[in-house]
Amino acid sequence: MAVASPSPSESVADHFARFGLAPRYAIDRDALESEYLRRAAQTHPDRFVGRPSGEQRAAMEAAAAINEGYRILRDPVQRAEYLCKLAGIDLDSSDPRGGAPHMSQAFLVEMIERREKVESARAEGASALQALRDQVEGEADETLDEAADALDDDDPNGAARLLVKRRYLQRLLDEIDGEH
Amino acid sequence: MVDIQEDPGALFQIEEPTSSAPKLRTPGLAIGIDLGTTHSLVALASHGAAPRALPDTSGQPLLHSVVSYVDGVTVGARAMAQRVSHPSDVIVSVKRFMGRGTADVATLPHPYRIQAPSAGEADVVRFDVAGDRRVTPMEVSAEILAELARRAEAELGQWPTGAVITVPAYFDDAQRQATKDAGRIAGLQVMRLLAEPTAAALAYGLDRGGQGLFAIYDLGGGTFDISILRLRDGVFQVLATGGDSALGGDDFDRAIAEHLLGVAGIEGDDRQMWAEALVAARAAKEALTDEVSVSVTLERAGLTGHELRREAVEALLEPIARRTIVACRATLKDAGLRPKELDGVVLVGGSTRVPLVRRLVAETFKQEPLGDIDPDKVVAYGAAVQADILSGSEREGVTLLDVVPLSLGLETMGGIVEKIIPRNATIPIGARQVFTNYSEKQTGMVVHVVQGERELADDCRSLAKFTLQGIPRLPPSMARVEVTFELDADALLTVTARELMTGVKQTVEVKPTYGLTDEEVDTLVMDSLDHAAEDFDARNLAEARVELGRVLLAVKTARVEVGHIDALLPPDERAQVDAAIAAAEAAMAGEGEESLVAVRERLEKVSEGFARRRMERALLAGMQGHTLHEIESAIAAEDDLAPRRGSHEPEQL
Repeated sequence: MAVASPSPSESVADHFARFGLAPRYAIDRDALESEYLRRAAQTHPDRFVGRPSGEQRAAMEAAAAINEGYRILRDPVQRAEYLCKLAGIDLDSSDPRGGAPHMSQAFLVEMIERREKVESARAEGASALQALRDQVEGEADETLDEAADALDDDDPNGAARLLVKRRYLQRLLDEIDGEH
Repeated sequence: MVDIQEDPGALFQIEEPTSSAPKLRTPGLAIGIDLGTTHSLVALASHGAAPRALPDTSGQPLLHSVVSYVDGVTVGARAMAQRVSHPSDVIVSVKRFMGRGTADVATLPHPYRIQAPSAGEADVVRFDVAGDRRVTPMEVSAEILAELARRAEAELGQWPTGAVITVPAYFDDAQRQATKDAGRIAGLQVMRLLAEPTAAALAYGLDRGGQGLFAIYDLGGGTFDISILRLRDGVFQVLATGGDSALGGDDFDRAIAEHLLGVAGIEGDDRQMWAEALVAARAAKEALTDEVSVSVTLERAGLTGHELRREAVEALLEPIARRTIVACRATLKDAGLRPKELDGVVLVGGSTRVPLVRRLVAETFKQEPLGDIDPDKVVAYGAAVQADILSGSEREGVTLLDVVPLSLGLETMGGIVEKIIPRNATIPIGARQVFTNYSEKQTGMVVHVVQGERELADDCRSLAKFTLQGIPRLPPSMARVEVTFELDADALLTVTARELMTGVKQTVEVKPTYGLTDEEVDTLVMDSLDHAAEDFDARNLAEARVELGRVLLAVKTARVEVGHIDALLPPDERAQVDAAIAAAEAAMAGEGEESLVAVRERLEKVSEGFARRRMERALLAGMQGHTLHEIESAIAAEDDLAPRRGSHEPEQL
């Protein structure tokens, strides 16, 4: 038995591998939590006070990667988006190749109309706004579930489209909550 | 074939070589300092001992955070005594000025003479004080820190080798950097900036060996923090933090003082009258903790025997105290918790003695808060424990996972902020952003880093602005400059940039918007009155020796253990490392022309790649549940076999 020689790319493991998890949407939350605490404790800069700078640097980078991985994986939306990224689709990029899929004209028009509805619901009063909020939130949750199913079916392109749709719904929610 | 055993508990067994090597650090000589708005104190918890605060010669552990420049420099009670007679030359509550610009403090009520920065000077507050001096808040704080360090020096028989200094969890980057600079100016090696509520949790948690979810409510003299922590498996994980770095007991005093002057029929701002009223207000507030009524006399304002009742004072304080409750609710929401889910609420800071505050906290969290460790000392205790751990003592390890309190972002088109690191992200953490060019002619671009939650850059805290140079002349959107932002375990920001076409790494000159450059701090360190130059040189020399010895030992150990493996240390690098080791050994023996610092820096530089590759191996090993030592034995064995193995691929572990 021998150790695989890590090439630079290999040593930069993906976040799932970082916590010994399979790259799937459904994860064992408890396993993530305890693996995170274990690894975060191992790599924390406090453990490397007084060590040579090369080690300190490497430890800090490792700790930062572990913290970032934990932040992404524990959040269902970010986890789903990250799975798309592993499949080569970066939702934060507008690049026609490998970027977020473009939504249909009809969908964009629909979103504009729904934004206007937020304003009229706001004018109607708190209960109308709340009803609209509940509806949009339900729809966002459903869309995430569908995206999760698409990921399980090995359809990252379908998942990416659904996740972009969910982002639009999230923006609508933020607008209802007055965060814009 | 190498047998590899499972030992998931210990990843970094590189720490101690099997031989009886000298300790890499000096355990037991590091101190914890709570640098408070109104009071500061120093505590020691050497070698796993229970923390204790170090008192002054009269037995008083709390030091007034007051520095007087009236008659030379005095700190503490003596300085306090000159406050009413010399309001502009006695600096109180300097913490409120840390990391702030002159425009920020213009809205703070204060009696000091502060001039706008001259052209080209960084926007740092400078107090004009007696003796024709201009001092920055960092220098004022350094006087307080040095006073405390001298107490520790008397106790330890030598200057402390390191210090953990606490900061409000809600301090931004500029305020943290200012605190760290103050430590350096005081001649301290700042091992860590520790969030005050986290320090308190550490002091409490170790006492109880507990598990669970806790809220730490920390209302000090000038700052308010609320942190929600989870304790589990020896890890203190901050889930969310919130607060207000300009809200505290000082505001209570001010409200009461205003009321008193109002009753006396005084208008306008007479500095001495105001100072007298503040002192009386503070005394009244403290008396009303146990009494329901107190009599107040202001000689200068002509107020005699005025009766202040607790209800009347609470009515004055309630609007201020309510602001803390709003922050508590928001932070609970950030942590995704309801009050009932908390296992305990801990009160920290002298201002939590105010009965109104206790009542509001109990109402909000639906439980009686804990306050059985002295709220004035608990933060310093936690800092002392952390200092002991960092100094390398045998104290049982706990890990503190803290968060950045405020989001970091970049200013984009139209002054809108794009967040790159969200608030409450566990530190250390990094983020990368790729910048591109608008036109072929563009070879530079301005990057503006801000901190805060608001949407517009103008409403956030400006941290730094810098220009990326040397963007290659390429068609629009073709050039790619990757900028990396890193927040270290002190939540301090470092920025580096890399041009992706050439891979050339750029050093980014980040000029802090509020604060001193490294060079300015160095100058202040040298100028520091309390350390005569030769004294300072001697200490620096001793430190440089210790530092070099430490690095030399670590590199030599690694070299002996695995330095013969080509994959870890290629032959050309090996020759450089060996030469640097030889130079370092000569320098330690007092030979050679170069300074100890230069020798150490070269040794670190040539061994950096080697250290990094070892760490990466260690991390991979940890991922697979093996210790570094086992992995290295496996690599070594494999390496020995390599020439005979021919073209066979190594079996994957």
